[in-house]
Amino acid sequence: MRAGRLTASVAGLIALTLTAAGCGLSGGSDSGDATAGGCKVDKGNVGSGKLTGDVKGDITFQTTNLKKDFGDFFNGVIKAFEKAHAGTKVKWIDDPGDATFGQRTVADAQACTLPDVLNVDSPTATALTKAGYLLDLGVKDPDAAKPFVPAFWKSSTMKDASGTSVHTVLPWYTGGVLLTYNTDLLKKAGVDPAKPPTTMFGLFADYEKIAKKADGKYFATMANPVWRIPADWDQMNIKTLSADGRSAVFADDPRTAQWVAWMAKLYKEGAMPKDSLSSNNDPSTLYSQGKVAYGSTNPSFVRFVKQNSPSIYARTAVGQQPFDALGHTTAAPQYIAAAATSKNAPTALAFAEFLTNAENQTAWCKDPNVVIFPTTTTSLDDPFFQKTSGDDPFSQARKLVAEQLKTATAYQTNISTAVLTAIVGQVQLAMQGKKSPEQAVKDAQEKADELLKQAG
Amino acid sequence: MATQITEPVSVPGVEGTASVPGAAPSRARRLARAVLPGPAPGANGAAMYRRWWLPWLWTAPAIGCAVVFGVFPFFNTLLLSFTDAKPLGGAASFVGLSNYTRMLDDSDFWLATRNSVLYALIVVPLMVLLPLLLAVLVEKNLPGIGFFRSAFYTPVLASSVVVGLSWQWLLADDGLVNTWLEKAHLIRSAIPFLSDSWLILLSAMGLTLWKGLGWYMVFYLAALGNVPKELHEAASMDGAGAARRFWHITVPGVRQAMMLVGTLTGIGSLRVFTEIYMLGSSTGGPGGADRTLPFYIRDVGLDPITGNAGYGSAVSVALFALTLGLTLLAQRLTKEDES
Repeated sequence: MRAGRLTASVAGLIALTLTAAGCGLSGGSDSGDATAGGCKVDKGNVGSGKLTGDVKGDITFQTTNLKKDFGDFFNGVIKAFEKAHAGTKVKWIDDPGDATFGQRTVADAQACTLPDVLNVDSPTATALTKAGYLLDLGVKDPDAAKPFVPAFWKSSTMKDASGTSVHTVLPWYTGGVLLTYNTDLLKKAGVDPAKPPTTMFGLFADYEKIAKKADGKYFATMANPVWRIPADWDQMNIKTLSADGRSAVFADDPRTAQWVAWMAKLYKEGAMPKDSLSSNNDPSTLYSQGKVAYGSTNPSFVRFVKQNSPSIYARTAVGQQPFDALGHTTAAPQYIAAAATSKNAPTALAFAEFLTNAENQTAWCKDPNVVIFPTTTTSLDDPFFQKTSGDDPFSQARKLVAEQLKTATAYQTNISTAVLTAIVGQVQLAMQGKKSPEQAVKDAQEKADELLKQAG
Repeated sequence: MATQITEPVSVPGVEGTASVPGAAPSRARRLARAVLPGPAPGANGAAMYRRWWLPWLWTAPAIGCAVVFGVFPFFNTLLLSFTDAKPLGGAASFVGLSNYTRMLDDSDFWLATRNSVLYALIVVPLMVLLPLLLAVLVEKNLPGIGFFRSAFYTPVLASSVVVGLSWQWLLADDGLVNTWLEKAHLIRSAIPFLSDSWLILLSAMGLTLWKGLGWYMVFYLAALGNVPKELHEAASMDGAGAARRFWHITVPGVRQAMMLVGTLTGIGSLRVFTEIYMLGSSTGGPGGADRTLPFYIRDVGLDPITGNAGYGSAVSVALFALTLGLTLLAQRLTKEDES
């Protein structure tokens, strides 16, 4: 009898737990009469038609690791929004933004508890869009595009489940991209610092000159190709994925194998530190020691050198990123999205647009603690970005990036971390001489295709 | 000593009074007697402790946690391994054994399995033996020995990321190790610790060992305290040297601790991720050649865009089977050895 009761109790406990856990996993709110990514939502949040409704009620706003340094700024923005829209309340959550950010956000989405407004990077936005968890801003507010640089807005799209490009994100801020180099090391190798190359292969040729002159005493750049893929290919207008994003096509372009051949040659010739092939690719330390000629392509790197290595800063100059076949740069913006699962979607949308408007973007980009650039048209015309004082590389960097952003696009290619890792791995093998460039490109495409195929 | 309540007791803030001795105890009081610690009054106090459900009540939180965080995820993973589920949910179809058959033809899976097994085969014996030697070394209460015990234990306290970064600096081409070796004229060019896939794997094993030595040293220090000193003294008087005493007295004396350390490090070695990530970067070494099974599960199963949670779950089940198999094998070998 006792044993029977015991068994029944344990079985009951397990059943209850499994049921509870199951509920948590399957998610699903009990209100609304439409679904977004498996969650029940208000009908107005999905499908066609402009989002209507009062801007009121509580929303949550999630950033990634910004509270510590920019708490005052964001609290000010939130206060201003709440003042402009009586009856609203914005709860700010600041995610650490570490390596598991994407997985945590995915878990939130599955549980139908995605924050109403969230700061997302490209891979996370791609995943959430594909699963239908984000508001289609282009549909829900046809005027959403107005404040943004046209090229930026047009390219800030993600693919939905059917492979159609949709505007589920607002471009927020970007770091820009440019060449930063040690003029002394370039001159020694016979490279003219005043005439930066206009193609990627031209840049590689300069790396080679430096490697030959350096003879192992210093380097041209870092080896790990992870930060060049697909940025370099985008710049060369090599298509990494097919138009619907469901298959890899980069191996079809002969320039991809040429690019890999260059990387392998440069690695072999000592243009890059051997131990940077698959480890740390941050050139900060080596550049500050005068041991690497080209620094990071991020403008904040120039400020880093200015603050930490004045003697090297005196020898530093900046140049425009090679536009190559693309003809303009591709930036890597951070995005703001509104969740389709929001219970106060009109408020979420209003706050997302308020946060990314020209006034707030300009104000934040002027913060002395950051070197970021706005994506709104009027912000880029602000004298803060256009004014250059003398030969100061930092000011030159600001101006160069502000200029290029008027025609820049967001990422040309959104690839998952797993696909990137698969491609990078094969390129590394070619750089080590373990595979021919052609074979590495072919194998990389096969591995990428396998991953894309399993994603459906 | 039990205290008899002889008079009705009023409790401030509580309605009613406590029961009078001899009268039938109230339901609340019976429950309190059964649940609250301390001896119960009356001859039937012991019986109160023997309520069949009481142990279950105490262990319910632990059982609940085990079910939610262990049992349920396990069965969920098992179920997912027969589907094509995606990390972001959505409709998942039953695909039968196809995830398992895919594994058989997946060269990356076998490479990761090889790395995981190699990791366990090299790390486990060293992790069983080296901390024991370290423990024997610091066991004696000599002046200043506390410093060495603390020093050996310090890596345990450091985060894996900090330790990984330190090792990156040590093993870089212009790092401490290569610089010393070059200055000692032992090498002409830098040893590629961070760019050769085999050396990355071995370096990661070194990192695991270095970080775990202090932890398991503490296990052995506790176990060594139970080895009778008289045995050592008697063996010494019979002329046994230090090495002989170690093999014939110390090792048998800490056999149970060795089994425990072996099992724990075996499981830990098969689950290694951080060390490979820190030294081999996000690709897991050049070309992903150093990826272990957990690394591979992350790559194929967890990516929000291209992940296949079904296949990732199948690889997880394979990892579980491998861990269980190796653990049972080790236990069986140990038992045979004992018998």
